[in-house]
Amino acid sequence: MTVRRIALGALVISSLVIAAAYASAFLPGGAPGWAPWAMVLGNAAMPVAIMLLGAARRSGGVGRLAIPFAFTFLLLAGGFGVALLLPPADPSGSTLILGLPPAAAVVFYGIGLLPLFILPLAYAWTFDEVTLSEADLQRVRAAVARGGGGEGEEVTGVGAPGTTSDATV
Amino acid sequence: MKAFALLQSAALPPITQPAVVGVALAYFAGVAAIGAWATRKTRTARDFFVAGQRIGLFPLALAAMAATVSGFAFIGGPGLLYSVGLGAVFVVLPAAITSAMSGWVLAKRLRLLAEVRELITVPDAIGARYRSRLAQGLAAIAILVAAIGYMATNILALGLVIDAIFGIGLNRAIWLGMGITLAYSASGGILAGVYADVFQGTLMAVASTLVFLFALQAGGGGLEPISRTILAADPAFLGPWGKLSPLAALSLFFVFTVGTLGQPHVIHKFYMLRDPRRLRWYPLVMALALMLTLLLYVGVGLAVKALVVRGELAPLARPDDATPVFLLRFTPILLAALVFSGVAAAIMSTVNSFMNVGAAAITHDLPVALGRRVANELRWGRISTVLISVAAALLAQLPGTVVALLGIFGWGLFASTLVPALAIGLNWEGATREGAIASIATGLVFTLVFESLAYFGVYTFPAGVTVSGLALVLSILVFFSVSWLTRRNADAALDADVRLVMEV
Repeated sequence: MTVRRIALGALVISSLVIAAAYASAFLPGGAPGWAPWAMVLGNAAMPVAIMLLGAARRSGGVGRLAIPFAFTFLLLAGGFGVALLLPPADPSGSTLILGLPPAAAVVFYGIGLLPLFILPLAYAWTFDEVTLSEADLQRVRAAVARGGGGEGEEVTGVGAPGTTSDATV
Repeated sequence: MKAFALLQSAALPPITQPAVVGVALAYFAGVAAIGAWATRKTRTARDFFVAGQRIGLFPLALAAMAATVSGFAFIGGPGLLYSVGLGAVFVVLPAAITSAMSGWVLAKRLRLLAEVRELITVPDAIGARYRSRLAQGLAAIAILVAAIGYMATNILALGLVIDAIFGIGLNRAIWLGMGITLAYSASGGILAGVYADVFQGTLMAVASTLVFLFALQAGGGGLEPISRTILAADPAFLGPWGKLSPLAALSLFFVFTVGTLGQPHVIHKFYMLRDPRRLRWYPLVMALALMLTLLLYVGVGLAVKALVVRGELAPLARPDDATPVFLLRFTPILLAALVFSGVAAAIMSTVNSFMNVGAAAITHDLPVALGRRVANELRWGRISTVLISVAAALLAQLPGTVVALLGIFGWGLFASTLVPALAIGLNWEGATREGAIASIATGLVFTLVFESLAYFGVYTFPAGVTVSGLALVLSILVFFSVSWLTRRNADAALDADVRLVMEV
């Protein structure tokens, strides 16, 4: 199974899970106890699945990106999960982490700050390897120069110079 | 949970002081100068709509940040945090993920598509991906509806800020704000918009960082004393979800994470980058700029709450007063002036981007969807910009309920109509034209109908459920379902060059 298939599967499942969480809120008595957990799972899986889908090459994987992606999933699922599990904030403020109560600190720093540095750096460090190498760009430009997609096929779609009316409805 | 207003919709306290007026005038003069410079550089429709595809990395990132962050980050956001506690940060938490996510999912694909096709709009990309004028036309309609609605609420917000600064009355302030934005947008197009955004984005980031430091100081000397003060009086405020339910907070996270991939006024800017390989640093620059600009949101919201608890500030009459009251009481007047100009900057940069995508929908996408091309897209782009701006300014003066409703459509409509067809479709060869059309139509109809029903109280959604969240997940599921049912057509929807862009 390719990485893209895994990403697509995760995307469909996380969509269904989020839809189920929303649907459960319409039940008499409101959302059941599992609904926030479903949203946690969906919110952790969907962004990672989308990133995986975007990063994966057609026939290959995502290389070293598997590590930051897995870390992000664990961070989101773990962070939101811990926030659901931890007791309410202590009014005495006896335990603060970096100035916030523990559960809020996990969400604020763990989910709000950590990925802010990890993901952009992972993107930059793997850019040539995974995202766009000079050879990739030249391949695209060579195909443009030939007037096709690199396999000798004719381009007829929307946006192709002078051929917008060829597009089908 | 009713969709909260993402923009200023009530009058601000008067802030007419010489320093504030002086800084605002200097700011408007700076924007005018940029507009005049860009006008001389704008000669073709490609210049007007995609800045001639010649901007660098920093202008791209700062312009995308400025377009993303509206006045909400400076006024409504701190007010929301003041009223619902840390639950309000679920609107901005996704910023940690979204810049890299859009880098992997959209930036490269859109920029390379612009390399192989002469694309200038987001619906262009949908049309090219699916070889479908109908999909392109539907996307353009969704963008046009949402852009005009967003513009109306933004122009109202801009009018309120200008009225608070200059004291000239709301209607005059609306026309003045719209006129200034229109002047540089219609003449210099997106080129003026991008470089004005660089100026505005820098102003926003600097002002936000400085105010954050003042907020920590005023709140007691750091985050810890602020937290101890608040916890003693209102511990739920600092719970991980604030005063929202977990479902509501997580729903915000979902909509503002995945929905980011469908904001045309931001992703459209990927077309403009001169060198696609410079995208390497886009997520980092964008994320840092966003983080600095959003510091004010968190800092002022928390500090004002602590100040109210300690009795140093009276409880606010309206949450949206949090930033103006804090600035006028606890920061030097020049910094306050800078922030008020920053608020105007944030709104104007967003309005400018909407003017551009809205005008492109009228001038380019809808004619293309009908199988035609406008002869002089530059001239008609300028005319369309004026027309939709005047329409939005007129809408902004309608009764508040109508304007608020228009504003609510925006984010959710963009997200539910564009995320599946564009963000997923550009990365999945199995997506079909039928799936794209069905998902765009689902997002469009569901959002318009149910946001209206919810807004007018005809139907009340359960706590924690937002129309934008429901519409987004529904359109994604429709996209997958219909694409799967019509999977035999998938290959037929892909041209060779588009396939190459999706494979690279």
